[in-house]
Amino acid sequence: MTTSTAVAGPVTAGHRRLIRSELLKIRTTNAWWWFALGALAWTLAALAFNMWFAHIALTDPEMLGGQGGPGMSSAAFHGSNVYTSGQFLGLMFVMLIGILMVTNEFHHQTATATFLATPRRTVVIASKLVTAVLVGMAFAVAIMAIALPAGALFFSAEGVGTLLDEWPVQRSILLNLLAFGVWSVFGVAIGTLITNQLFATLLAAGLYLIGTQLASLFFLLLSIWLDNEAVLEWQVIVPSIASQVMTSGGADIPGSPQWWVGALILLGYAVVAGTVGVLITRRRDIS
Amino acid sequence: MPDGEIVVSGLTKYYRHVRAVDGLSFTVTPGKVTGFLGPNGSGKTTTLRMILNLVTPTAGTATIGGRRYVDLPQPLRYVGAVLEASSAHRGRTGRNHLRILCAAAGLPPRRADEVLELVGLTAAGRRKFKSYSLGMRQRLGIAQAMLGDPRVLILDEPANGLDPEGIRWMRGLLKALADEGRTVFVSSHLLSEMQLLADDVVIIANGRLVKRGPVAEVTASIAHAGKVRVRTPDADKLAAALSPDASVERGDDGVLYVAGVDAPAVGAAALRAGVELHELVTERPDLESVFLELTSGQAGIR
Repeated sequence: MTTSTAVAGPVTAGHRRLIRSELLKIRTTNAWWWFALGALAWTLAALAFNMWFAHIALTDPEMLGGQGGPGMSSAAFHGSNVYTSGQFLGLMFVMLIGILMVTNEFHHQTATATFLATPRRTVVIASKLVTAVLVGMAFAVAIMAIALPAGALFFSAEGVGTLLDEWPVQRSILLNLLAFGVWSVFGVAIGTLITNQLFATLLAAGLYLIGTQLASLFFLLLSIWLDNEAVLEWQVIVPSIASQVMTSGGADIPGSPQWWVGALILLGYAVVAGTVGVLITRRRDIS
Repeated sequence: MPDGEIVVSGLTKYYRHVRAVDGLSFTVTPGKVTGFLGPNGSGKTTTLRMILNLVTPTAGTATIGGRRYVDLPQPLRYVGAVLEASSAHRGRTGRNHLRILCAAAGLPPRRADEVLELVGLTAAGRRKFKSYSLGMRQRLGIAQAMLGDPRVLILDEPANGLDPEGIRWMRGLLKALADEGRTVFVSSHLLSEMQLLADDVVIIANGRLVKRGPVAEVTASIAHAGKVRVRTPDADKLAAALSPDASVERGDDGVLYVAGVDAPAVGAAALRAGVELHELVTERPDLESVFLELTSGQAGIR
């Protein structure tokens, strides 16, 4: 039977039932459909922009004015960029789905029914985390089902081959999948921290869209003030920047650390966020 | 311990400085409808939520059939609950709401259709929850409680929002379920409804137990129960005219409470003595007057 330590334990029949129940919750409402449409539209736009950018950089690098250093003219950089198109808003949408998976229970007062059916709350939140990862990765797969064929055709036409045989490009594609899973986990954790649906979604989306720029600005000013360029590397502690560093190998961030630093930091946040989410939910009174 | 018995023992809940429930102990037995009565804010809902592991007690325990709710291997197959502040997603159909719970509890999806039929919501089951009236929402709540065909039913103010026809339907359903040997524990502030429905009552005020037992026993325990109340402008003359078997207690405004003789004997004595009577009645307190007497002054500011 299920126990309170089941997070780390094997997946039991009870867990599978709960994951099925959580998937049914998502399927029987409309929100996921809107997020999927949003992610699709954004992916198409990002794909067009990234292809245009790659086309200029590969055929006429002078137009970029020599900015961005040697990375900008490497085909592998553009391979990663085009094949992970749609990531920026895609990550935000799967985070929002994760948030809704928890805040819906409080907004619509279904938490009572959920915890009556499964009084062991650790198992409930663990199932939500697993389900969110599945949904997040399904989004990534759907997005890449568009980006991969389109990108492969584009790069072949550019005369550089598909680039899919290069490890940095393959790595970016795999880490893109991981990024979608991790941001779904963030969403569930944020939902357990802030159960007010409107506040949680607005805050998370706002921080994701604007907070990243503000954090970059803060670290830039800090590096100028301290007269130390190495300070710029520290901005990898911001989750969204860690995510960019991980999937792009840090090529588009000056003074960026290695991709695995970003990956480790992001996984660290996911583990902490998931644990905090479980602990908070175990203690909460449902009334 | 009988199967399906609810045992509450020393249950206590503090919210910061407020004692919502304070050392509450009682037992609810199977095969009967037990009413859970108390003024608003007396701790009924908090108590029910503690029994169901939704609210963590500060102290004390609550078990159902000898186990805490959280330790029940298949909770929905053993306990069904209808609670306030329990609802469904506005954009989801009632049937899908139930199917989600079936999936979580490992019940076959057809149970969703069976319980919708039981509460008369088969047609509405495929409509979205936001279109439901208050009465339909209560019926869906009862359908949800019946999903696992449970041995024990716990209902918090189930009559809220039901029309008189719905209330009659609910009364019949709950009595039938109790007659099948199930435990039925119902909170309510509708005292007249409880008098018709409940076999036993548990009365609380200010988070503390005030009275519990069979309805008849509880109503009989009130002061003046079974006495003859008589009001007359000439109380002294009437008291003197009564037989020596009668014991007389004086109330306000010329009222006498007479024990030991019945109302016709009091009336006959008054006629013989030529005393004018304004009232003559045998006190048969209903649950409402018991409730008001027991909880008076205890529902103050909290």
